[in-house]
Amino acid sequence: MLTAVDARARACGLAPDMPLADARAMRPDLVAVEAEPAADARVLADIAAWCERFTPAVTIDPPHGLFLDIAGCAHLFGDEAHMMNTVETRLKAQGFANRVAIAPTPGAAWALTRFARQRTIDDAHLRDALSPLPVAALRLEPNAAALLKRLGLKTIGHLLDAPRQPFAARAGEAAIRRLDQALGRAREALTPHRPPPPLFALRRLVEPLITLDAVLIAVAAACEDLVAQMHVRGAGVRLLRLSLFGLDAGVRAIEIGLSRPTNNAPTMLRLLRERLSITPENIDAEFGVEAVRLDAVEIAPIVLHATDLAPASRRDLDAEARLIDTLSVRLGAGRVTRPALQRVHTPEHADHWTPAQHASAGSVDDTPPDDGVMRRPLQLFAHAQPVEAMASVPDGPPVQFRWRRVLREVARAEGPERILPDWLKQPQARARDYYRVEDRDGRRYWLYREGLYDEAEPPRWYLHGLFA
Amino acid sequence: MQARAAATPLIEVIPASPGDRGAALGFALGWIAGHNAGLMVWAAADLCLGENGAPHARGLAQFGLDPDRLVLAQTKTASEALWAAEQALSTPCATVLCVTPPGSKPPSLTATRRLLLLAEKNDARCVMLRFDVLAPSAAWSRWRVTAAPSVGAARELGPPRFAVDLERTRAGGAGQSWLLEWNVHDHAFTDAGRVSRKRDRPLDGDLAAKAVDRSAATQWRRAS
Repeated sequence: MLTAVDARARACGLAPDMPLADARAMRPDLVAVEAEPAADARVLADIAAWCERFTPAVTIDPPHGLFLDIAGCAHLFGDEAHMMNTVETRLKAQGFANRVAIAPTPGAAWALTRFARQRTIDDAHLRDALSPLPVAALRLEPNAAALLKRLGLKTIGHLLDAPRQPFAARAGEAAIRRLDQALGRAREALTPHRPPPPLFALRRLVEPLITLDAVLIAVAAACEDLVAQMHVRGAGVRLLRLSLFGLDAGVRAIEIGLSRPTNNAPTMLRLLRERLSITPENIDAEFGVEAVRLDAVEIAPIVLHATDLAPASRRDLDAEARLIDTLSVRLGAGRVTRPALQRVHTPEHADHWTPAQHASAGSVDDTPPDDGVMRRPLQLFAHAQPVEAMASVPDGPPVQFRWRRVLREVARAEGPERILPDWLKQPQARARDYYRVEDRDGRRYWLYREGLYDEAEPPRWYLHGLFA
Repeated sequence: MQARAAATPLIEVIPASPGDRGAALGFALGWIAGHNAGLMVWAAADLCLGENGAPHARGLAQFGLDPDRLVLAQTKTASEALWAAEQALSTPCATVLCVTPPGSKPPSLTATRRLLLLAEKNDARCVMLRFDVLAPSAAWSRWRVTAAPSVGAARELGPPRFAVDLERTRAGGAGQSWLLEWNVHDHAFTDAGRVSRKRDRPLDGDLAAKAVDRSAATQWRRAS
């Protein structure tokens, strides 16, 4: 079965849905290639990503359609007609046969691309333009289309003239909804393949840019645009995404999280510059960058704090938030962390560091012990280190132990502190008896004995952490 | 002593031996915990965080570091850690602990000078924790830390103690040694007596105090 034919095959009389044997009989020199729907879908998704340089709201319409919501974007390309030509010629240049149309509704645009020569319609002429088109232009189910054909309703105009109720009863609700959607009487919700951001700023460049500095000038302009939009809403951005559209059809995107919503263009630009300068691969587009788009992916209202006229200290919370953002951008959000406490007994699981950009304050409530002697070490080994230890009594603290090949004699010891493993997660694990010990040199260690002396398996000693 | 010493914007801390790295870290952390103002940024290259275990949140909280103010910045290289420290010192009232791994190229005099200027300008404090070779630096003082036995009832442990040698100060008076005990509740070191280990000469406590006093006075003059 043929699934698709090119222009030359069509000229020879071949058409989709024709059995391959018949086609071969008509044209023995036919070149047939196995259909790969999955690969087609991938290419379509790539084209959709490429099309994001025209608008952030690109919806994939399988098997080979795309809807571009160009509301508010066309002016960047001159006008709608100019934009349409750009899309068409650029896609053609990449080797994709395409038809483009602009219409007030997705349904009408779909109909135009497939069944009409006309390429644009406006609101006023929607009905007139659609009337002469065949009913198939309404994106109907095959059996509904066949039924309408049997009834002699060949064009959309016929449907519009026919009484609505009986038509709905026969052709089904879906058909009537498609008709309403094409005419703009019913809303059609498109689901873009990537959710469009609440706010975005798109900058198209007259000449492709290659250097970082030049790209940053365009980014700065986009920042200003975005800030102006956010200002109207009294909002700031929490998650910023910069997409660089290369002339080589590649799209490079970087995301930057902020710990506080900001609508300050210099701050945004500083973070973007920082990230771009450590990831030069983002602007190594071979033939330059032809468009930049800055999305405010997450926005939040800006809370203004009253200025303290007589501040107790020079501490500046905004500056601290800026610092955390700067560090996170360069080092990675997961490497700039704040402590948080997990209510778990096993020490290695109780420790938890969360990204500072998202951390809520006050999550560790471990107060210093009254006697000033710490119960937990400053540094903890993720995997406790086995040591050879000797204890004077079976369930007492060690007298000496060997760690990192050095024998350490215990001068002071406190314990045991018994910590039972989580029986639900580690049913096989043995109880641990922890000791805080100090050697003759005054170095302090956190050791534990796993298991007891009267068990079948002899107990083992581990070093788990170091005190100050 | 702590109150006066904490007024110095940039100091260096080094462990006396590899086994004293834990003690040196404790001393450095105590120093930044003592400056009770803004954010505490612990910038450390990966190599320094792995070797003796990872920072333990509960232990740090018990040591007296306010978890709400503590931020840990892990970096890949020593130069990145310096960069992070520089960024942090641009924030008013921040205290910064910058740990660079043994074997890394020591920060240049210019780099430390930049840290110092930033710290002075923003009322911030910086502690550089280094493990080996010491290059010329703009730090106000350099402290060599050794673990010291604690004093507790019977065979029990007491609050952490450190034996520190003041190796170098800008104001003079180097060569002093103290035995310091960390007081968790006051966020301060208390003087637990003089140590005369290794050195066999009389120690003049007043001179040492004057030395640090003088540094503080210099800073005061500069601020006013």
